[in-house]
Amino acid sequence: MDQSRRKFLEGAAGLGALALAGGALAQDKPAAKPDSAPPPGTIPNEVVKREKNPAMEYHSERPLTGSVPAHHHDFDVTPNDRMFIRNNLLTPDLDAAQHRLTIRGLVDRELSFSVEELKKAFPVITTQAMLECAGSGRTAFVPRASGTTWSPTGGMGCPMWTGVRLADLLRAAGLKANAAHVAGQGGDPGIVPTAPPVIRSIPMRKAMEEHTLVAWEMNGTPLPKVHGFPLRLVVPGWVGSASIKWLHTLSVLDAPFKGTYMDDSYRIPRYPVEPGTRMPPDAVSTEDWPVKSIITYPAPNARFKGSAPIPVRGRAWVGEGHVTRVEISVDEGKTWQRARLAPRGDKYAWRTFTFEYQPERFGYVTFLARAWDDRGNVQPIVPPWNPLGYFWNGIHRVGVIVEA
Amino acid sequence: MRPEFAFASTAAAIAAAAVFTLARAQSESLVSGPGVGLAREKCQVCHELGHITRSRLSREEWSDNLHRMRQRGAQFDDREFAILLDYLAAYYGRDPAPPPAPDTLAAGAQGGDAVAGLLQTHACSACHAPDKRLVGPSFREVAQRYAGDAGAPRRLAQRIRTGSQGVWGPVPMPPAAAISDAELATLVEWVLSQK
Repeated sequence: MDQSRRKFLEGAAGLGALALAGGALAQDKPAAKPDSAPPPGTIPNEVVKREKNPAMEYHSERPLTGSVPAHHHDFDVTPNDRMFIRNNLLTPDLDAAQHRLTIRGLVDRELSFSVEELKKAFPVITTQAMLECAGSGRTAFVPRASGTTWSPTGGMGCPMWTGVRLADLLRAAGLKANAAHVAGQGGDPGIVPTAPPVIRSIPMRKAMEEHTLVAWEMNGTPLPKVHGFPLRLVVPGWVGSASIKWLHTLSVLDAPFKGTYMDDSYRIPRYPVEPGTRMPPDAVSTEDWPVKSIITYPAPNARFKGSAPIPVRGRAWVGEGHVTRVEISVDEGKTWQRARLAPRGDKYAWRTFTFEYQPERFGYVTFLARAWDDRGNVQPIVPPWNPLGYFWNGIHRVGVIVEA
Repeated sequence: MRPEFAFASTAAAIAAAAVFTLARAQSESLVSGPGVGLAREKCQVCHELGHITRSRLSREEWSDNLHRMRQRGAQFDDREFAILLDYLAAYYGRDPAPPPAPDTLAAGAQGGDAVAGLLQTHACSACHAPDKRLVGPSFREVAQRYAGDAGAPRRLAQRIRTGSQGVWGPVPMPPAAAISDAELATLVEWVLSQK
């Protein structure tokens, strides 16, 4: 156990005793909201939500999950207050001054860094990069799949991240010949003592990719507590769970990590399966997101007066590779017209697309957007159902009202 | 290789569990039916019951789900797994659910009507439940504490008849003076058989 970890445990134990004493006292005077009792060593949900946009829709409190709908994502760079929240456990209250990151396993030398040491040891990189929960859009699957009820457009964001390359850390530690996967472990505590820690691994090709970061800043400010303060992995374009928050240990392995967050979740059938059936044995680990887009302006059911052109805007992305084309249909998919794509920015940043619609009639008008990637993939008409409801990338449709 | 990860289970987590268990919301409700008490007890330690009420899954999917929850730290044995699976598959399945029914486990009828009647008559149920702590320990906790203890039936019978205090906490258990020897034997046997 490293020093910061021990400190965390000691501190947490002390806080625990205090909180229990407080809990006993509180029984004399019943609290208005019983669930607001802050678990020791963690940040209460109410405090997390204070820093979040009012447009956030919370899908569950334990664990805390939330996102803003597509029309609240109308930004080239996702602001901190609109970044989605997907915890597996509780939000820990970690001390940056005490926190350490340890790299061990199949390395020549085990390394350990404080946050400040990390900032000085390697080149500091800032890049805009996409993170999206594997289950983003899950509620669009029919029949309903098991898991957090992300709305069809919820559970993603594309902020700026600042940190060091994971590759630089791994090179400094020196990789053994059989090093093949890198597992990150988060310091988020479970509600029950039997809860295993959140550990996920990524293959070495992604670990060594130059945009895979150990980050401490989001949009130029220290990571918000709920987004992994003081350190997190950023594994851009891949399922969000790969980007371990509250990172304190990196372990270099010769095979994928074995654990519940690898073997029971974040898996998808190799080929589509009959909807409503269980996970087949030949399922694979979820990695990069397929090509996807959302319309971020106008909002659903927005009203427009007269015959002035209506601007349509959105964002398009793909986990690996890049978006080559976004098309808009105003006739429910019979014909498609090309939207204008903003120049390519950082490798894993989403791309803004714009389209100008000249109304041809009054009434309810719909826009469909679909994106293509450089491998010739296009958003499917109906994404394949899978037992855990991952990778929803169906075509987003927004309707508006044109009035006289 | 086997990485030596520090286990995240901490004193903080234990304390958090205690706080959450005390504070869990009462407003969420599951459909009443056999096993609902167990589902309420086991599931909402870690998450709100909305995770269940909004779900409609096949029996096979619920089975995988329960397996996953067990891997995530939920504590239930194979018998409880079966009860939970029957409950979830019946009331939160993809097929239409049956009408609500009494939770036979919580009502104590699991051991037969005789036991259920005794629990009512002697007011045991006012303070004890099969699988969760009310004023006193759950019957299951009692059974677990005395598992393999040959002297337990005699001591337990004595405490039920004359009352007891200090074994599980400061709250006294009043005596069940009117209970017959046969009834006492039935109750003790049933309590100690709870798992």
